Amino acid sequence: MIRRLRRITPFQVILVTVFTALAAFMSLPIVFILNHAFKPTNELFLFPPRFFVQNPTGSNFEQLFLHATNATVPFSRYVFNSVFVVALTLISVIVVSTMAAYVLAKYQFHFKQLILSLITLSLMFAPETVGIPRYLIISGIHLHNTYLGHILPSLASPIAVFMLVGFISQIPGELMEAARIDGASHIGIFTKIVLPLAVPAIATISIFTFQGVWGDVETSTLFMQDETMRTLAFYVNSLLSGLQNSVAGQNVAAAAGLLMFIPNLIIFLLFQRKVLETMIHSGIK
Amino acid sequence: MNQTKAIAWQKRLYFMKRYGIGLLFLLPWLIGFCIFVAIPIGWSLFMSLHKVAVVPGGFKYDWIGMKNFKDAFVTDNVFPIELITYFQQMLLMVPMIVIFALLISLMLNQRFPGRFLYRAIFFLPVIFATGQVLSELFTQGAGEIPFIEQYNLEPLIEQYIGKQFAETIMSVLSRAILILWYSGVQILIFIAGYQTISPTIYEAVRIDGASPWDSFWKITLPASVPFISLNVLYTIIDLFTFPLNPVLAHIRDNMFKMDTGYGYASALAWIYFGFIFVLIAIVLLLFGRSVKTRRDRR
Repeated sequence: MIRRLRRITPFQVILVTVFTALAAFMSLPIVFILNHAFKPTNELFLFPPRFFVQNPTGSNFEQLFLHATNATVPFSRYVFNSVFVVALTLISVIVVSTMAAYVLAKYQFHFKQLILSLITLSLMFAPETVGIPRYLIISGIHLHNTYLGHILPSLASPIAVFMLVGFISQIPGELMEAARIDGASHIGIFTKIVLPLAVPAIATISIFTFQGVWGDVETSTLFMQDETMRTLAFYVNSLLSGLQNSVAGQNVAAAAGLLMFIPNLIIFLLFQRKVLETMIHSGIK
Repeated sequence: MNQTKAIAWQKRLYFMKRYGIGLLFLLPWLIGFCIFVAIPIGWSLFMSLHKVAVVPGGFKYDWIGMKNFKDAFVTDNVFPIELITYFQQMLLMVPMIVIFALLISLMLNQRFPGRFLYRAIFFLPVIFATGQVLSELFTQGAGEIPFIEQYNLEPLIEQYIGKQFAETIMSVLSRAILILWYSGVQILIFIAGYQTISPTIYEAVRIDGASPWDSFWKITLPASVPFISLNVLYTIIDLFTFPLNPVLAHIRDNMFKMDTGYGYASALAWIYFGFIFVLIAIVLLLFGRSVKTRRDRR
């Protein structure tokens, strides 16, 4: 113990203080959104705005739920839609993208370079512009107003495959060769070697996919005309845009903002260590 | 005759086994990618060359060639200005984010207690920096720093740097939190990059009498050039697809206007895409050359 203490140099003390200050600065917005949701109405409009709440109340949430029960579609329906869509999308994205990434990373075949460069190109393309063609395709194959219409568009996600290819290509090829010599089938190699080794990368893409799908309003706006098929994100968003300019809506908006934010935080805390692992490994060539 | 046929059949079977199963793994993703990514992108190119009108029962396409692209620069008086302003901001913000990430990652690479915790904190915002939360924060004014208005920095900057740059610099300053928020992934890429430098090199130069300052310039920096280029690319893509970006907002607005319509919006998107592509090509060229000369020198 004494030896450890002696190892701490003044330089380290400075480093830790600087980092504590920076970290505090970076977490300000998160603290803000937390505090904002519990502010009573009179504090929301204080000028200059205060960071910390003085008299915390739960009335913002009360109003949010009151507002929600007055709507034509019950609040729980939106929650169910969101949870159902997110869960199914997560599972299918993981299965489909790991399979594709495994092949792209470890096999040689024609058009492989073409597919890889297409992935990189589509990463650069602004997502808004493909909205209408997607709508036409979805309505062309009669997927509007079904859960599949929520799930399928995010299924073929280029970003997930992009990250997974980078990670899986670092798994040594010798491992797979050894398994092949021992008589493992393709599916055997995939499930017994690639999947367990890619767990950190899978954790990462599941976080990113969760974030994307949970906050996504595009599928609900474009593909769902039936109000009962829309997700929580859409409901909160329409609530916000309808109430943004009115004084009365500000507190509901603050509460709704926190409500959308909490699941992200939970998922992040669950997978955080795994993500950092991936990020650190996937950069190494 | 029969034998050659049998050999050909065997050969085909071998290739089927070799490629077929691999392609089978790829197939579900590939179909999805084609239907929901590749075809829509192609479709938007098709639309950008047409005047798209909404008629009962679908869309009507009238071929107008390059007119949409010409209009973007000639008739539209918002788009070129926004594009240029955003590019100026970008050219300032990308180096700032990368340099900031480089400095922070250098410090995080030192040994000190609680290093892992700090790495987690610096990575945390990336997770939250998705559209929904971010736009929520910005409408509530959390993304700004109060001291810029309090101390009235704008005239000072105008005086010392010049009026034409003042606006750009002010908007970058007001996004200082954003810069911090957007450097999480870059920091981790840099840290990962430092792990590839073998510690024996540092030991060798230390014995040869190099100071830490020298060893940073002579070893750490040259070794992390590929990671700098990776980070620059990542930052460019990240900022250009940023949801609050004024150019994207303009594209979105035009999508639902009666007189311009979807065809024009697609044309704008393709112009924007073209600009990003050129920028990335330049960055790749620059870094590719520097990596190559380094390799030749060795």
